[in-house]
Amino acid sequence: MKTFFTALWVEMLKALRSKMVLATAAGFMILPLAGGLFMLILKDPEQARAMGIINAKAQITAMTADWPSFLEMMAMGIGGMGEILFAFIAAWIFGREFSDHTVKEWLALPARREIIVSAKFVVIAIWTLALTLMVFLVGMGVGSAIGIPGGSFNLAWTTFWTVMLTVLLINMLMPFAAFFASLGHGYLLPLAWTILALGLADLVSILGWGDWFPWGVPVLVSGMVKPNADHLGVHSYLMVLLTCIIGLAITFAWWRSADQTR
Amino acid sequence: MIFAIETNSLSKSFGPVHAVNSVDLRVGQGEIYGFLGLNGAGKTTTIRALLGMIRPSAGSVKVLEQAVGPYGRGPWRRVGHLVERPVAYPELTVWENLEISRRLQGIPNKTATSRVIEQLGLASYADRKAGALSTGNLQRLGLARALLHEPELLILDEPANGLDPAGVVEIRELLASLAHQKGVTVFMSSHILTEVDRLATRIGIIHQGRLIEELEATRLEEIRAQRLEIKAHNLATAQSILTQAGYAVKMNTDTLILNEGRAIQAPDEVATLLVNAGVPPTRLAVEQEDLEQYFLRLTGEIL
Repeated sequence: MKTFFTALWVEMLKALRSKMVLATAAGFMILPLAGGLFMLILKDPEQARAMGIINAKAQITAMTADWPSFLEMMAMGIGGMGEILFAFIAAWIFGREFSDHTVKEWLALPARREIIVSAKFVVIAIWTLALTLMVFLVGMGVGSAIGIPGGSFNLAWTTFWTVMLTVLLINMLMPFAAFFASLGHGYLLPLAWTILALGLADLVSILGWGDWFPWGVPVLVSGMVKPNADHLGVHSYLMVLLTCIIGLAITFAWWRSADQTR
Repeated sequence: MIFAIETNSLSKSFGPVHAVNSVDLRVGQGEIYGFLGLNGAGKTTTIRALLGMIRPSAGSVKVLEQAVGPYGRGPWRRVGHLVERPVAYPELTVWENLEISRRLQGIPNKTATSRVIEQLGLASYADRKAGALSTGNLQRLGLARALLHEPELLILDEPANGLDPAGVVEIRELLASLAHQKGVTVFMSSHILTEVDRLATRIGIIHQGRLIEELEATRLEEIRAQRLEIKAHNLATAQSILTQAGYAVKMNTDTLILNEGRAIQAPDEVATLLVNAGVPPTRLAVEQEDLEQYFLRLTGEIL
């Protein structure tokens, strides 16, 4: 266990010293800030009309400037954007070892490779959770500052747990991004895989089978794809769990036995 | 004899390419073993197999009498390594890079990091980010990492890479003192053959994946070929005269080279011949080939 915490400290240090933490935080902050701007425009229709295209989009979504709409938009954003951004984080944590050629420094160590790989997954979870909490709290602050109506503790609490469930489900899909980063020795393959998986999730959701497709489940939970959300059930979570187990198994197996020639 | 490194018929293929072909290495404890080979000869692949980074296609590897597995198993607490060019996390300082290695190596002594920083002359760079280091200092950082846990065995791929001449001497002396005073076994590949020549107690030459020669450094002294080297103002004429006299002459840039025994045993006859022909040599000396020339002759890279 001591080795694991050491590996975790090492991975945390590497992450905190990088510019990626700030870059991902800045990227994710678009959600509450853009959502807040959207609410501000909806709250004042005269100004919204003066804004042209934004007004048109606001009418299409038929949203109102209130807390339920704002929080719903936040949850959907975290679900949709999270799948890409979190995969990017996983791709960076695993892929950078190859792009910086540092991977060879932790192959012949007394610490087992599985422990270092596990520590990397924990850092992904901590990082993504911290980002989500930050975005949620900033969103609450932005919503309060704008003074949108219809807020309640229960609504915030329910949305919070929806977001947490979404983030948990997205994290369970990260082993595949890690595996592709390892297999592809860098960032491109995991990002290509994530974009492909999200495209497939969209397609499968349109066909009405999104609740069976692991990469479609988090966006359904977040409320992003409403028509199929009712179909979510134990089978959907089991699919994500199975994907997580398979992803972990192939990632660990790869690190145990693949040739490291970089 | 106890071997620090022992491979039995070690082979590694990448598809149709046989990078390492049935290599049997025996490196005794306390030896400084120079591992030589041209680019692509199989040096780094062998080193990666020794460190368990790649799975041998056939054969076995033992390091410090422990079987090396392709999944991180091995005596790594007792082995320091530097594979190919040194690397570091660019956003971390020199001290932080070494500190993460110290912790992952499970070294309880917190002064180990400061010790290697001093030992490798990195004190003034300790707080500098690794990404801002010169190639030479990055090499020192890599060596510091290899020495952090005071290993019994050092496996070093081109340890003098990127170092300035003073640094090369410094690292040579450091490795020699570790071997002689602390009994550390050093297995090193290098393209700076003069360094290997000065440092190694035993030399192995790998060529096209096969270990084609293995010999004691003292034995190398005996088997290095001698040759007569001649310089003259008119080399072409001198070559023609010597060829007419029945000598086999090779021209190497600005020097004529005679490898035959009769020329080496009686250089005065060659000198007389050239003086009488009106082409007196400006330099005439019997030289022993150095390791580089021996290596190139053995691998067939030079005539």
